[in-house]
This record gives sequence, C-alpha cells and structure tokens, in this order.
Amino acid sequence: MKHRRLAGGILVGTMAMALVACSSVDEAEPSDGASDDSSSAPVEDGAYVTVVKATGIGWFDRMEVGVDEWAAETGLDARQEGPAEATNEGQVSIIQDLIAQKPVAITVVPNDLAGLESVLAQAREAGIIVVSHEAVGIENVDIDIEAFENKAYGAQIMENLGECTGGTGQYVQMVGRLTNGSHSEWIQGAYDLQQAEFPDMVRVEDPIESEENEEVAYNKAKEILAKYPDIAGFQGSAGTDVVGIARAVEEAGKSDSVCVMGTSIPSVGGSYLESGAIDKIFFWDPALAGKAQLAIARILADGGTIEEGTDLGIPGYESLVKLAGADNAFAGNAGVAVDLSNVADYDF
Amino acid sequence: MTARLARLRGPNNEGLLLAVIVLVVIAMSLASPAFFTAGTFFALVRSSMVPLIFALGVLLVLISGGVDVSFPAIAIFAAYTTVTLFMDGSGGTALVIFAVAMLIGAGLGMLNGVVIARFRLPTLIVTLGTQGIFKGVLIAYIGSAYISAGDLPSAITEASDRHLVDVAGGGYLHFLIVPVVVIVLLVAAMLKWTVFGRSIYAIGGDTEAARRVGIRVVRTQVWLYMLVGALAAFGGVVYVILGKNANPQSLVGTELDIIAAVVLGGASIFGGRGSVGGTVLGVVLVQLINNNLVLVGIPSTWQRAAVGVLLLLGVSIQAFAATRGRSRPVAVQKEVAA
Amino acid sequence: MTVTATPVLEVRDIVKTYGGVHALDGVSLSLAPGEVHCLAGENGSGKSTLIKIISGVERADSGAITIDGTTHGHLTPNEAIRSGVQVIYQDFSLFPNLSAAENIAMLSELAERRVLSSRSRIRAAAQRVVDDLGLSLDLDAEVERLSVADRQLIAICRALVNDAKVLIMDEPTTALTYSEVQRLFVIVRRLQQRGVAIVFVSHKLDEVLAISQRLTVLRNGRVVESGDASGYTRRAVSKAMTGRDVSETRLVNDVAPDAPQLLEVEHLSRAGGFDDVSFALRAGEILGITGLLGSGRSEIAEAVFGINPADSGRILVQGKPRRIASIHDAVDAGIGYVPEDRLTQGLFLDIPIAENMVAASLDAYRTRFGLLDRRRIRRSIADLFGRLRIQAPNSSAVVRSLSGGNAQRVVLAKWLDRKPAILLLNGPTVGVDVGSKEEIVTILREQAAAGMGIVVISDDIPELVSCCHRILIIHDGHVVAELAGDDIDADEIQRRMAA
Repeated sequence: MKHRRLAGGILVGTMAMALVACSSVDEAEPSDGASDDSSSAPVEDGAYVTVVKATGIGWFDRMEVGVDEWAAETGLDARQEGPAEATNEGQVSIIQDLIAQKPVAITVVPNDLAGLESVLAQAREAGIIVVSHEAVGIENVDIDIEAFENKAYGAQIMENLGECTGGTGQYVQMVGRLTNGSHSEWIQGAYDLQQAEFPDMVRVEDPIESEENEEVAYNKAKEILAKYPDIAGFQGSAGTDVVGIARAVEEAGKSDSVCVMGTSIPSVGGSYLESGAIDKIFFWDPALAGKAQLAIARILADGGTIEEGTDLGIPGYESLVKLAGADNAFAGNAGVAVDLSNVADYDF
Repeated sequence: MTARLARLRGPNNEGLLLAVIVLVVIAMSLASPAFFTAGTFFALVRSSMVPLIFALGVLLVLISGGVDVSFPAIAIFAAYTTVTLFMDGSGGTALVIFAVAMLIGAGLGMLNGVVIARFRLPTLIVTLGTQGIFKGVLIAYIGSAYISAGDLPSAITEASDRHLVDVAGGGYLHFLIVPVVVIVLLVAAMLKWTVFGRSIYAIGGDTEAARRVGIRVVRTQVWLYMLVGALAAFGGVVYVILGKNANPQSLVGTELDIIAAVVLGGASIFGGRGSVGGTVLGVVLVQLINNNLVLVGIPSTWQRAAVGVLLLLGVSIQAFAATRGRSRPVAVQKEVAA
Repeated sequence: MTVTATPVLEVRDIVKTYGGVHALDGVSLSLAPGEVHCLAGENGSGKSTLIKIISGVERADSGAITIDGTTHGHLTPNEAIRSGVQVIYQDFSLFPNLSAAENIAMLSELAERRVLSSRSRIRAAAQRVVDDLGLSLDLDAEVERLSVADRQLIAICRALVNDAKVLIMDEPTTALTYSEVQRLFVIVRRLQQRGVAIVFVSHKLDEVLAISQRLTVLRNGRVVESGDASGYTRRAVSKAMTGRDVSETRLVNDVAPDAPQLLEVEHLSRAGGFDDVSFALRAGEILGITGLLGSGRSEIAEAVFGINPADSGRILVQGKPRRIASIHDAVDAGIGYVPEDRLTQGLFLDIPIAENMVAASLDAYRTRFGLLDRRRIRRSIADLFGRLRIQAPNSSAVVRSLSGGNAQRVVLAKWLDRKPAILLLNGPTVGVDVGSKEEIVTILREQAAAGMGIVVISDDIPELVSCCHRILIIHDGHVVAELAGDDIDADEIQRRMAA
C-alpha cells in the first residue's frame, strides 16, 4: 500500500513540478508574451527570444542588459528567457513552448549541445531562425556566433598563465561540465599552447568537473592542493570556478605561489582579484554577445547572409571570422583579460 | 554471539556503516599517501557541516513519516534574504544574522507544517510545491544577483575566516563546527529524551494510533516543520559563511543527495525509524567518497558514476537489512496478481 | 456475580445519523464497575459507532454520556481518556517502531503533560502494569517483532497504565488462538476484580457467553436484546443479531465412494515449518486442517500453494505428480488459495469489486485476437455477484468500502472465477459476523457438492465441525490426529490441539 502511495506521490509531484516550471516561464514576460501570441501579430513584428543557460546568474543578467538595449535601439521586440536551473531539459521545454509561439528568431546559449539538436531542428522546421552562442559544432542552427575563436581564447589564457608561473610547474584545468563544448575547447586550446610554448609545464590531471558549482570547485581544488603541494597554476572555465579555486588557494596560504586564472566576471571574481588569490580573469561582455546574436538573427530575417568579414556594428564584432570545422560558425574578437589594474572598467 | 553481533550492527545498521567508512578510509589511504592527513580530515569535517545540518532536518521529517524536499530552498531563501537585509553595513553580528535567518526559516517551515498537518496532504507534494514557491519568490522579489565576498556583511566575512585549529599548510578546523556539533547533540537529545521527540517517532510509526493515545498530531507536526525550517536556515547561513558568497541559485537541487545520505544512515523512508548517529555516519560516508575521488585518482568522467554506484549499493544494503525478517504480503500480492 | 453498584458509564438515548441514515437510533447502555458487558451485533449494526462515541472520536447527534457521575454532551478523545475510558482497538493501534515499554507508557507520559521523556520512568511504569497483571513480556522488544498475542497484551497494558475505569475491547480475540484466548480471559477476570468495567465486542459467541455477565445486542442501530448473559444461548444471541434462525448444525454432503482423488500430499516436509505431512482430498470433499497458531497449519497450505515450497515430499494433483515450486505452478495445477489476511494479501482495496473478481483469471477471457472479451467478463461478474450474495450497491464499488464478510466473499469470487479443481482457504471467516459466516460455509458446501475439493485451514472449531468431512489436527508441525465422520467433536479437537 505504502509503496503504491509513494509512487503515486512521486508521479503527482513530478507533474506539479512541471506545472510550476511552465507557469514560471509563461509569467516571465507577461505583457509581451500575451500580445505577441495573439494570431493578429504580423510576422515581421514577431519576437526575438534569447534562451540562456539559466536565469538569475550575473552573467546572463548582463546578457539581458544587451538584449534590452538592442530592443530599445532597434524598436524590435526582443526578450530573454531561461530555466531556473542550468539543465538541458529546462532549455528544451522552453524552446518547445517558444516554437508554439512562432517567434522570428530564437537565439540560444545551450547547456548541452547534443541535447538541444532535435528541438532546434523542430524550431527551424517551423520557420524560426536559430542563432546560437557558445556552441561551435552544433548543427541545427543557422549561425553560431562566438565572442572569439575558442581555442585562441584558451591559448590566450594559457599565455597569461604560463607567463605567471614562469613557464614551469604543475597545473590543472577545471570545466563546468565535461559535456560543455566551449569549455572543452578552451582547455584544449590552452593545453595545445602549453605543449608548444611551455614544455616545462605539466598538466597533472585530466580536466576536472566543477558541476558549475562553486562549492564543488572549492573542494576539488582543495584535493588538488593536498595531492600536489607544488601545484603552480589553475585554469577555471565556469564563472565560479576561479572563485572556488581562489578560496582553497587562499586558505592554503598559497595566493602568491599559485597562479589562478580563468573565465569569470568582475562581480563574481572581483573580490579575489583584490585579495590576490585570483591573478587574472578572462571574459567577453555577455551584453555585446547577446546583441551580436540578435543582430545576426535580424540580418538573416531581412534576407541577408553572414560571411567572413561581416560587420555587426557591435564592438568586438566588427569583422567576423569563419571558424574552421563548422560551416555555420563565426567568431568575433571580443575577449578581454582583466586584472586588478583594469577591473574597475567593467561593472557587471 | 549473534546477539553481540546484532548489538555491534546497531538498531539502524550504524555499526555496518562505520565498518564501511573504516574500509573506505583504509582503501583511500592505500591509494594515496596524501589522503591520511589532518588536512583531509579537516576538509571532510568542513564539507560535512552543511549537509549534516540539512540531514538532521531531513531525518526529523523522515522519522515523522514524511519526505521534505523544500529545505534547500528554505535554506538559501533565509540565508540570502538575511544577507541582503544586513548588506548595507547596518550592523548585525553573526549571532543576529543567524537568529534572523532562523526566524525566516521557521516561518517558511510553518507554512509547510500547516498545509501538511491541517489538510493532511502528502508531504512530498506539498514540499515540492513550496520549494518552487520559495525559490521563485526569492529570485523574483528578493534578488537574483550573486553576492561576492566583498559585498557580504562584514560579520559574515569575519566569521568565514575564524578557525578553531589552524595547522600551517595542513588545513584548518572552522569554528562553526562548534555550533554544528551542539545542534547535532541537541537534536539527538531531543529525539531521545523529550516527549516531543518520542511523539515524532510515534507519529511516524502510526499516525492514527498517535491520535488515539492523545498526541496532538497537528500541533506536533507544525512545530516539527518549523524546527526543520529553522535548521535549514541555520545550514543556509553556514553555507554562505563557508562559501563566502551568497548565490540564490545554489543549494536547490541538492535535496536528493541529502535524503540519500540520511537513508544510507538507516532512516526509513516509510517513517518511524532513524537515528542521529546513523545520519552523521551516512553524511560522512557520502562526503568522504565525494571529496576524495580526485585525490585517489579516479578520472573525472567516472566520478559521478562512482558516487552513484556507491550510494545505490549503500542504500540497497540498508533497505535489504531493514526489510529482512518482516512479513512478505507485498511480494505475495504482486505474484498473485501477475 | 451480582452487580449492584452505581454505574460507572451510562449512555442514554444516543442518536447518530450519517447522511440521513440512522447508525444509532436511541441506544442506551449502562455499565457497573467490575462488570463484563458484551456488545454484540452484526457488521453495520452500530457497534463501532457506539464505541467511537463513547471514546470521543465521534460526536453524537443527541443523547448523553455519563462517566463516573459527570455528564458529557460532547466528549473529546482527550476528555474520554482523562475520564478513564480506554479503547483497545481491533488493530491495537500500537507503534510498531517503538519498544513495548514505550508503547505502554506513552499514554501516561502524554496525560501527565511531560516535556522530558525518561527511559527508566517509562520502563518502571510499564513494568508495574505488566507485574500487576502477572504477565511476562519482553518490554525492550520492538512491537513489530512481537507476536500478535503479545501485541494484544501490550494494548491491554497500555489501556491500564492510566487507571482505566472503563475498558472497551473491540474484537480482542480475532487473532488469538484458543489457549491465548483463555489467557486473555484470566486477565479480564483479574481486571474485573479490580473494579474495571469492560465492554467486550466479539463475533465469537462462545467466548462472549463464557466471559460476560451482561449482554446487549444491537441490530440496525437499535438495542434488540439486553439482559443477564446467563439467560442466553448461542442460538438465541445469533437470532437476536441476525433477526433469523441461524443453523449451526453439522451438515456435510455425501462424497461418492468412487469420487476421484484430487490431491495427494505425501511426506511433505519443510525445515522449521512442518514434518512428514501426508493427506489426500477427494472430489466433493471438505477437509479441515486445524492446530494452534504456529503449529504449521498455515505453512502446509502455503507449501501446497507454492508460496513457500516444501523441501521434500511429493504432491500429486488428479493422480499426476506435480512439481510445485511457485504460486504459478500451483495455479497451473488447478489449485486456488484464499489467504489468511484477506485485506493485505488477497485483494486490491482501492479497485472495484468487479475488477478484483476477475483479476486472477484475465487470461481465460482472451479472445482469439488476444483481446479481452468484455461481454464474457461482465457476464461472469454478474453471475458471481449474485451467486455469492455480495452486499454492495453494485459491482463497481471499491473493496475498501465493504464489510469483512463481503470482502471475504469477493476473495472467494476471485478464486471461484478461476474454476480451480482444488481450493485452499485459510481462516475463511476470520473477522466475519455470524450471518455472513453461515453464508460462506454454505457457499463452500455448494462448491464441494459441485465436485470441487476444498481444504479449510482454521482454528474456528465450530465452523470446521459444521462443514468438514474430515479434520486433520496439526501439532508442532506433525499431523497428530485425523478425525472423520462421527468422531468429529469440538471438545475432542480442542483437547488434541493443545496436547
């Protein structure tokens, strides 16, 4: 009896969760959504929707700033949505709902490339333009736009890291998720550069997964510090990786001897830049990336094409380069390195 | 002989669990020389603190015959809200921050308790619902921004760096271990030596029978969920202090891991059974495994699978040990129906 | 025994309606200290409602309850407990996860509004009651691990820990064996001497008449008989309860001398259960198997039905040796089994009667396309529903809503629908009232007359005597006697069981 009741409970519970999830998505944009859904809205006035990995994260809050700016500048209806948790399932269900609403374009920052392919294919079949970001190699999009060529960006981080460690010593790399395409390319680009230019450096572990969770990053970094007392460098990929690493390094009293570098944003990594536990953070401005995605979507909606050298009129995206290995991927040159000296220039 | 073995195993297989922990420690020590050190021990203690506090709340609810999945949402709601209240430097010692957060937590817990006890609704469904509500309200009305170390109230950042024992280069024992241990002992004492604690076991054993002997079930449940809410809030503030940041996106999603650890510790998901001792061991075992896989050299790609397999194994052993010797009506009914 | 003291409990003109139906229609009852008062009545007569009102669980529409001189219009459970009214529920309402001592003392701890709980105080309080009653119980054991009889004793101890004045025992003997019942009666008499008034509710009329001084019979919410117990016979009480004459005489069909052997069990043994058991069953025969709880009587049935297969021995069905290693094997061999605890083992409680009836035999209703033949299923259900006289609004009511006797009939229907050659029934009338009992026995006789072989496992001796051709008596895993024909006698069986 009790078993059956429990099973029933779980089932009903899951359904309740699904309902909660749906309603929160619907309510995210009450006024816009309502007016656009009505069948009378002409197609050229349709919405541009940016789907991010998760809402409520500083990075994507900043992207939303760009999305809103772009909407104001162009007078078009653009908005941003995302699941409450950074999951593939959450993004799939949001995109499925969007397909029914028939927006002009969906721009998306996927949690999991492979996991989104089929729902993006459905979106395109429904005549929706799809532009992705941080998703080189994804197939079912019109254009993927990167802030930079990922391996070059990884190499840029390693150049700084190698310089900081003096070109020698042990280091490890951390990724948010092992399945994350961009993170994998950053660390690959970094690793390739290290092999070529810093032969005296040794990567002592396979890339470590932080599950995009700062606490996990912290605990793993502590393990690394215990296992390799002479560790010289850490490279982080998810925005909170360097913070977790920095906390472990700081506690171990090794802020000076260990170089911590990686992707983050000033509002998250700033305090550890100040304390010296983080040496440099790297990022691209998500607001500009958000705008770039939308600009591309608009060019495509107007019947234009994206080619090598296309100028989106957005800083860092004035001359796109075509990425090798994928026929739909382009990159800008929008990466920035920030240390204590210039962190004040970025207010997100 | 068998009686002595049974005593060693403990009423909820605590002995068995302890043996497994010892085995894992031995295996890890053999696998890595860096494992058996004070640093590893302190790190284990530190990473167990928050899950342990949460686990105590889960334990109380499980004993009473329910399942609570809303505690991480309560924890981060209470902690984040309190942090934003004290962010503008308007004073507030660590003690005040804990007190305010726990009041908020108790309030949210009361909501759970009232809905569950008054309307006699299934706990899992109620707390699934409130989890979504708490998190939604937090993100929508209180804030969605990551608050980094520099912006936290000074009382919290100061607390972050207070260590009880500091071994140069060998890690530290955080001072919050003191209140955590006190709370663990208080909950254990409450379950053992108060009528309230025994009533929780009674309600979990048979709610109708509890009503019939004169236990005020509704009142007990409401108090229970308030207590669990306050515990969750305490854990949330500890989490913020240890992590030196307040991230409204964190914690929610960890509930099943905590529940698994408590069940591993011998609590029954059908209610009425469970001990603080077993829960402590369950949490320690999970953290021990979770936090030392890199150290003993398990490749990242395999780590999650390894944790999953170990959990499944542990919980199966517990479930098997718990059902062995009980009657078999369920199996028979299935077979007859087949 | 003469009872002249002022009543400790007096119930006057209680009326209670549920949705317009009178559950109790002006019921009065008075109880003197030290009196054992039997409350008899069939299911639905209003007994349970009356108990609920006296214990404060339900509120009467009108009428008054006077306990120890204080009159209550509306009684709450806590007031009832504080006034000294205790109920021992049929399901005991114990906490399976707590120790015996804690189960006993929980009530007084709560009543004294204590904050701290002390193991030694609890232990002492429990020990005091246990010693008082001269029992020996393992007070530190978890109730879940105790036998049904011990649980019953714990429920009694708990009721007494707070100096109960009125003790209501709802079907206290249902799960007890003969000797355990005798032990219970000793305790009841001891309580009586201490001035506790006891309301005794039971279906087993022999017991009722043996222990009670006074008797009240309810039928359809009214008191139909009330008086000194010594003035009643079994038959008279049955008649008062059912409103008709219930026959209890031994009535067995003749078995044709050439009736084929349906089941032969040879030297069946299972370690820890039973040893070297042999018996045979012919078509049209009803065989009784009896013995004390734990004698192995149920284990034998479970082995024949493949639930816990035997270690050694042979089972022949219709002359052919069959390997019965699982329930599936037994069903294939044409054996049906109605388990002991019908509520947990035999039925899906929240599913309609009709679906329960055909649940075990759906395979037989497949058309040649593999689909279910709905029309044939409906016909079977209608047929069984009528044949077994199930009292329910219709066959789509859920089983949980049925009384014990009707639920048992649904279990029977479920097995009869499979048309087994051999039907084993374990305690077919446990918890069933007199009228229903008789009807179930009648159904069994009809089935046997139609050629089915029936084995009834039971410790209800009058029931066995009334319908069995032969009776096996099991003691300590062995067949100690086989009685047939005129040798079948209730006292003889009783004597052999305890031997």
